[in-house]
Amino acid sequence: MTTTSAAGTAPDGSAVPAAPPPFDPELAAALTVIAESIPRVFTLEMLPALRGANSIMQAPTSEELSLGGAFEITERQVPGPAGAPDITLLIGRPSGATTPTAALYDIHGGGMIVGDNRTGLLPMLEWARELRAAVVSVEYRLAPETPHPGPVEDCYAGLVWTAAHADELGIDPGRIVVAGGSAGGGLAAAVALLARDRGGPALAAQLLLCPMLDDRNDTPSAVQMAGLGVWDRASNEVGWTALLGAARGGPDVSPYAAPARATDLSGLPPAFIDVGSAETFRDEAVAYASRIWQAGGVAELHVWPGGFHGFELMAPQAAVSRAAAAAPLNWLHRVLAD
Amino acid sequence: MRLAAVDPDASAAVRVIGYFDQLTEAGAGLEAIVRGAAVLTGCPARLTDGGRRISLRVAPDGSPGAPAGPPDGSWLSASASASASTSTSTSTGADGGAVLWLERPGPAGPVEAMVLERAAAAARTVLAKTRGRAPTRPVDDQAAVEVLIDPGASPEARRHAAGALGLAAGTRVRAVALAGGQARIVPAADAGVDAGGPRAGIGTAVGLEGLPASWAGARTALRLTADGSDDDPGPRSVWYDELGGLALLAENVGSATALIPDELALEHAALAGPWVLPTLHAVATTASLRAAAATLLVHHSTLQERIAHAERLLGWPIREPDGRHRLYLALALRRLRRHLRADG
Repeated sequence: MTTTSAAGTAPDGSAVPAAPPPFDPELAAALTVIAESIPRVFTLEMLPALRGANSIMQAPTSEELSLGGAFEITERQVPGPAGAPDITLLIGRPSGATTPTAALYDIHGGGMIVGDNRTGLLPMLEWARELRAAVVSVEYRLAPETPHPGPVEDCYAGLVWTAAHADELGIDPGRIVVAGGSAGGGLAAAVALLARDRGGPALAAQLLLCPMLDDRNDTPSAVQMAGLGVWDRASNEVGWTALLGAARGGPDVSPYAAPARATDLSGLPPAFIDVGSAETFRDEAVAYASRIWQAGGVAELHVWPGGFHGFELMAPQAAVSRAAAAAPLNWLHRVLAD
Repeated sequence: MRLAAVDPDASAAVRVIGYFDQLTEAGAGLEAIVRGAAVLTGCPARLTDGGRRISLRVAPDGSPGAPAGPPDGSWLSASASASASTSTSTSTGADGGAVLWLERPGPAGPVEAMVLERAAAAARTVLAKTRGRAPTRPVDDQAAVEVLIDPGASPEARRHAAGALGLAAGTRVRAVALAGGQARIVPAADAGVDAGGPRAGIGTAVGLEGLPASWAGARTALRLTADGSDDDPGPRSVWYDELGGLALLAENVGSATALIPDELALEHAALAGPWVLPTLHAVATTASLRAAAATLLVHHSTLQERIAHAERLLGWPIREPDGRHRLYLALALRRLRRHLRADG
C-alpha cells in the first residue's frame, strides 16, 4: 500500500506539495459511481479477467465500430518485426472516399499489460469521421509476456506496413498521425522517435493523450496522486515493471521504451499532449511538451483542471470531458489542413 | 455511467446519493447538477425558474442547450424551491418556483425518483445561496416589465416581453411596486421581499394577462407601507390581498380628499414627542396592551401613562376595540397622505 508523502522533497529533488489538486466536481461525483468497477490497484493477477473474450473491458463489435456505416471495418494480418509473429491491424476506411485520406494510426492503451486493437477505438473513429480520415489500429504483444522492445517494435512494424500500403488503403502517406492514450500515448511518442531516428515513415503529427512516458515513476504528481483516482503510482509501477523487468527505473532504459528518457526531442512532428491536473502522468506530460519547445519544436499542451487519468472516457458527459474531447479534434483539423 | 440501464439494484440509490453529495460538497453549479440528473437517468433534464430567469436543459450526453419549448406538465418533476416539499410529483410548476424536470412522463422508477429528489435538493442549496432577484440587465428587464403591467400593450408586445423575462404562458405571477417607482414581476408562490430593500406593495397572484390589475393593486398596497421609523411606523411591505376594506379606502382617498378631524388630531398628537406615533402604532396593531408594551420595550405602567397622555391629545379613548379601530384607520390615512405627496 503506497502512502502519500508529506510535504517535502521528491526523489528527483523537487519540492512536493502535500495536498493534491482537487478533482473537478462532476468528475469527483462520477468517481463515486464508477469507482467500484475499477480496480484500485492493477495487479498481474487481474490480467486474465481483463484480457481476451471474457474481458470486462467489453470490446466494441465491428458493427459498432463502423459508426452506422460511416466506416468499412476490416482486419489484416501483416508482418511484424523481423523474427517476430505477424500482427493484426484493424482498419477503418471512410465509406465512399474517392481520394486519398488522412489517417490516424492508433495505438491502444492499457498500461502495457491489457487491451487490444479495439480498446478506446470509438473516440478515434468519431474524430476520424469528422475529418473524413481513416483509422488503423495496431494490436501489439503485451507485457509481461512480451517485454520491451516487443510492443513498440510491433507498433512500428504496423506503421511501416501502413505507410508502404497507403495507396491500397486509400491513405495519403503524407498525412498519417500517430495517436494513442495512456500506454498507447507512450508507445505513440516512442514510434515518433523511432520514425525520426530510422528515417521513416513520415508522420504528419503525434497525438499523445495522457501519455505514459516515464518509467522512473517519481515525478511530484506521481507521488502526490499515489493512492488516488485511477491508475495511480502503484499501478503504474506494475505496468512499467511488466515491460522492463528489473531494469525499470534504472540507468539503462531506452527512450523507445520510455520517451521521457530521450535526450533529444528536436526534429519531431508537431505534438498534441493532454493530461489531467490530478493524475499520475501530469508532470511527465508537461515536461515532455516543455522539452519539445526547448528544442525548438511544435507542441500543443492541455492540462485539464481536476481531471483524473482517463476521465474523458470514464465520464464523457461532464463539462470538462466534453472540452477535453473537443480539443484534439480541433487540433487535428489544424494540423491536417491543406 | 447510466445507472437506470446498468445497475437497477439497491446500491444504485446509494450511488445517486453519493453523486449529488459530492457535487454539493465540491460547490458544483446548477448546470452540473442538471447534467447529473440527465446522465444518471439517461433522460434529458431541465431546471426552470421564471423568477430568477433560469432555464437550463442538459441532454443525456452531457451537452447543454436552450430548451425548445416550455416543460410538459406530464413530465416527472420535483420542486427545487426553498419553501416547497421534496416529494416528486408531476406538478406543472405553474406557480413559477424552481422546478427540476426529467423530460418523460411518469411513473418514476426507483432510480429516477432518487435522482429527482437528490438533484432538486442540490439545486435548492445552490439557489438558496445565490438568492437574489436583480435582473442582469435592469434597463431591458424594466422595459419588459412595464409592457406586461401596461393595460394598453398589444398581445404581441406582451408575448415578447414575457419571453424576455423567461415567463412561460400559464405562469402565476404578482406585480410588485417599489417605492421610487420601479416595477417588478415575481413568481406568485415565491414572492418574498428583501429586508432592507425599498418599501414594496405586492399585488394579487394572476396569470400573465392579469398583470395590469395586479400592478394597480400593488400600487395601492405601496401607499399603505411605511418607513418603519419613529416618524412613520408601520410595515415596509404590504400585500394587496390582505388589505380587505383598506384597499377601498386607499383607492378612494386622493389628494383632493379633505382631511377628517381624526387626521388633524393625530398630527397634533404627534408633535408631543417622538414616542407618540410608535406608541399609537403599537396599540393599534398588537393584540393586547401587554403585547404593545413588549413591542415598544417599555414597562406596562409606562405604556399606561403614554396612552393616557395620547388620549388627551387625540380626543378619543384608544384602549377599547372601537377606539383602537378608529386609531388604526387614522394611522392608515396618515400613511396614505404621505405617499400621495411623495410617490405621486
